[in-house]
Amino acid sequence: MVTKTEESQLSRLESQVDNGGGGAWDFLCLVRKLKVRRSDKVLKHGLSILNDPKKRSALGPHEWTLYEQVAIAAMDCQSLEVAKDCIKILRRRFPGSKRVGRLEGMLLEAKGSLPEAEKAYLSFLEENPFDQVVHKRMIAMVKAQGDITRAIGLINKYLETFMADHDAWRELAELYNSLQMYKQAAFCYEELILSQPTNPLYHLTYADVLYTIGGLENLQMAKKYYASTINLTGGKNRRALFGVCLCTSAIAQLSKGRNKEDKDGTHLQSLAATALEKDYKQRAPDKLQLLSSALKSLRVSS
Amino acid sequence: MGFGFTVGVFGVLILSHAAYSTIQYRGLLKIMEEEFSGPPLTVFGELVVGLILCMWAALTVPGKFLSIHPDSEENRIVSLPENLDFMIFNHRGRVFPSQVDLKLNH
Repeated sequence: MVTKTEESQLSRLESQVDNGGGGAWDFLCLVRKLKVRRSDKVLKHGLSILNDPKKRSALGPHEWTLYEQVAIAAMDCQSLEVAKDCIKILRRRFPGSKRVGRLEGMLLEAKGSLPEAEKAYLSFLEENPFDQVVHKRMIAMVKAQGDITRAIGLINKYLETFMADHDAWRELAELYNSLQMYKQAAFCYEELILSQPTNPLYHLTYADVLYTIGGLENLQMAKKYYASTINLTGGKNRRALFGVCLCTSAIAQLSKGRNKEDKDGTHLQSLAATALEKDYKQRAPDKLQLLSSALKSLRVSS
Repeated sequence: MGFGFTVGVFGVLILSHAAYSTIQYRGLLKIMEEEFSGPPLTVFGELVVGLILCMWAALTVPGKFLSIHPDSEENRIVSLPENLDFMIFNHRGRVFPSQVDLKLNH
């Protein structure tokens, strides 16, 4: 989870390093900690540290983690020579290491020779069938080939063994979303919310998926989850506020014939609408007219 | 930081001095064969002073307190970490011209 302070810290370090100031090692550590994918910057600044023997020796034992990080960034930027050199140096230092073997498998993947990479990963799995990272690389390989249904089958089998891996649940949810299998995606998001209940982004995506599926019960659940997102973010998430307004008007449209409780629904919608108008007045006053007319049309149709 | 630390040490010394004088007072009362109702008033004053000093040191020495509200502006979750375990390499960045001068020099 990247919080706002961490993001501002990261961008500050990035601009500092780009403009020639020091702090490249701090930037690389922060990138590794936050798990962001800034491969071009990592490659450039990592190589500047590694090519300078003085800075390299100042790192001590962290030098090898830096080699690994630069190798992965080089593969991402398609600089395969750099990646091959880094892996060769790592292989010389750690001769029998599985971690270096995984990097070599990733290099084969990046080169495009997927059958050889698959052979290498399968041999790793024979030695140790519970190696999580190798399983995930196999799934990524199948995904890279474009065979999404087979990737879904593989992730399901992986999750039968390793049920607590929330990265895999997230990947499965995104794959289902790409195939428009929204009910299964909703199940995955439920698992994610169970494992990380204080993260408002999962509540928001779950509500979006429920709203997409449609139907009266799903719309009511979606409204509840948009409301919980607003609760978790202190009312600052504009998407959730819009979601509440849209859900209320959709529910009212669906239940036009029956006399369900209207008062609670419209109360929440009017609160959300007021919050949105206040926010727009503060940040984008020239768009306030658009917003008010859109909200009015939502309320009229209910 | 150094000043807060010395204040804390001073506070602990005052508290231990209060404890020592209470024990001495109790010994004195035993000699005079009177009952020990409570430590003398000076010790109470010393205890209050020691408490204030120690609390002040405990709050200032560890440094800046971090915010714990999940909805405060600095704790707002901006983005989820990218799923690096499932990273694939055949994306559109592959056709960008790679910088030729990037090389590992050893």
